Amino acid sequence: MTIRRAASPRRRLPWSRRLGLWLLNLAAIAFLIGPLVPVVLASLQSEKSLQQDLRALLPREYTLANFRLILSGGATRGPIFEQVSYLPKSVERFPSAFLNSLIVGAAVTLIALAAASLSAYTIARMGVWWTRALLRASVAARMVPLVVLMVPLYVMFRRYGLLNSLGGVVIAEVGFLLPYAVLILTPYLASLPAELEDAARIDGCTRFGAFWRIVLPLAAPGLAACAVILFVISWHELLIPLIVVSRPEFMTLPVVLAGLVSDYFVFFTLMMAICLLGLLPTAALVLLLRTYIVRGLVAGALKG
Amino acid sequence: MGRGGGAPTAGAFPEGHRFARPSELGKGALAALMNLPALAGLVLILAYPIGYAGYLSLHEVNLRHLRTGEFPFAGWANFGRLLDDPVFWLSLRHTVVFVAASVVLEVLLGLGVALVIEDDRVALSRMTRVLILLPWAVPPVVNGLLWAFIFNGQYGYLNRVLMAVGAIAEPVNWLGAPGLAMAAVITAYVWRTTPFNILLYHAALQGIPGELYEAADVDGASPWQRFFRITLPLLTPIIAVSLILRTTFGFMVFDEILAITQGGPGNATWVAAWYTYKTSFQPPFDIGLGAASAWALALIVGAISFVYVRALYRRVEA
Repeated sequence: MTIRRAASPRRRLPWSRRLGLWLLNLAAIAFLIGPLVPVVLASLQSEKSLQQDLRALLPREYTLANFRLILSGGATRGPIFEQVSYLPKSVERFPSAFLNSLIVGAAVTLIALAAASLSAYTIARMGVWWTRALLRASVAARMVPLVVLMVPLYVMFRRYGLLNSLGGVVIAEVGFLLPYAVLILTPYLASLPAELEDAARIDGCTRFGAFWRIVLPLAAPGLAACAVILFVISWHELLIPLIVVSRPEFMTLPVVLAGLVSDYFVFFTLMMAICLLGLLPTAALVLLLRTYIVRGLVAGALKG
Repeated sequence: MGRGGGAPTAGAFPEGHRFARPSELGKGALAALMNLPALAGLVLILAYPIGYAGYLSLHEVNLRHLRTGEFPFAGWANFGRLLDDPVFWLSLRHTVVFVAASVVLEVLLGLGVALVIEDDRVALSRMTRVLILLPWAVPPVVNGLLWAFIFNGQYGYLNRVLMAVGAIAEPVNWLGAPGLAMAAVITAYVWRTTPFNILLYHAALQGIPGELYEAADVDGASPWQRFFRITLPLLTPIIAVSLILRTTFGFMVFDEILAITQGGPGNATWVAAWYTYKTSFQPPFDIGLGAASAWALALIVGAISFVYVRALYRRVEA
């Protein structure tokens, strides 16, 4: 995707320029991770310790009580929360919401990836005139504000009994993400060498057979990139499940987190611990699969 | 760029080629079949709802009507009420401020970071490259909540840090004043969305051939000349793309508003998406009005992207 700059004779940078760039780079690193530092610090202390000294940057004492409480769904209270009479509902709902988010994310990723790869192949390889229009439609569809879809989807889902079901959330998210998946996959499939496919055709493979046996396996890195991006966006999606779901047992993680808004002044430390647990899965995915994701994101933007 | 820009290759075998099996589906039929799932999704979950939103915006729809399932025709009444609603205009103004400020910051910060890490001889620049996507990975609601905590007037870390370095003597209630609250929401949003721009610009910078810079060096160009004569012109297409994407997404901002200010203080941070959400899904559940506002928003976003695409691409192609 990117052409590394030709290794020109590498002169040493003048020291003033090196120092300046190094300082700017430190500022960039601070910008990227700085806001996450308070999250970690707050989640590792008790509310009492946070409130005791309003000027302190570091916790007086460290504890994992917040995480224990959340991961046990409010069951493991420990000494810090023993006396507390009210716990945010989000604590109790965390485990099931985490699971729901996983289920929705996996389903959305699989369905959107399957449909989009079929479509992207026809656009990238088959040269049928109207598939170009489909690509343009996908670009336009990506610009549609999600809010516009929310009102009609709510009314439609209400009529067809899809409110308060994970299926409803999956359907809405697949519809919203499909065009993006097509945009990511099309340039990737177009970049694969055509020779192997042609060879398979000469050996008597049908066109679909060539797609299924040759193109898909070759496209594995691109499919993986697209899958991770789809999963991350689904894991982040708030508006769709917020509107489709009102019963606690179907809530996904962002909905449960949004529920903290109404009572967050109660327990900041607990809120930051929940936030940290909520961002951990996608942060880990992104850091581990960075190169794939970068490739997919750049491809998906450039087709626009 | 690079491998991404390859033109679609037509199948190597024209119809009726001797390698094509006689029993095989025609190309057009197979393409249609393979596009069926995506087309069904596009039509049923995108196109139809957009049209249906238009239908709803021309009808009277609230909770009572939802129960009976009958929506009386209202003509342009919803749009009339929308245009008469000062809160709608206020939300639009806030949205414009929000989008303008965030897009400018996203582009400038994105360019800045991309240029700093362009050269991997800069110490720790590889670490920055690894971390670029971290804010992108943070769920928007979580982003809102964590910034709500940072900006909190009592226990927040912004006050703690500013007091520690002596910039302020007493805690500031950042989310209590209208201007500050808007700035806070913009800050939070920009932190999450800038990485995407850094990524695009970084990829584009890597694609600029080194020979161009060498030639400029030979000609004795200053760093500024190098930037304005080589780097910036070559980055223009990608900046155009990022402008379009960031503007349309900026118009949809919702999660950070919900998590940080809920439109407050007063209605100082009501934006367009928040207006649609509040009117449709909170009492009095005025879904007809919500649909009208959603359509108005879609038209605005559509018009802006259209103008952008025309203007920017003409410049790029010139």
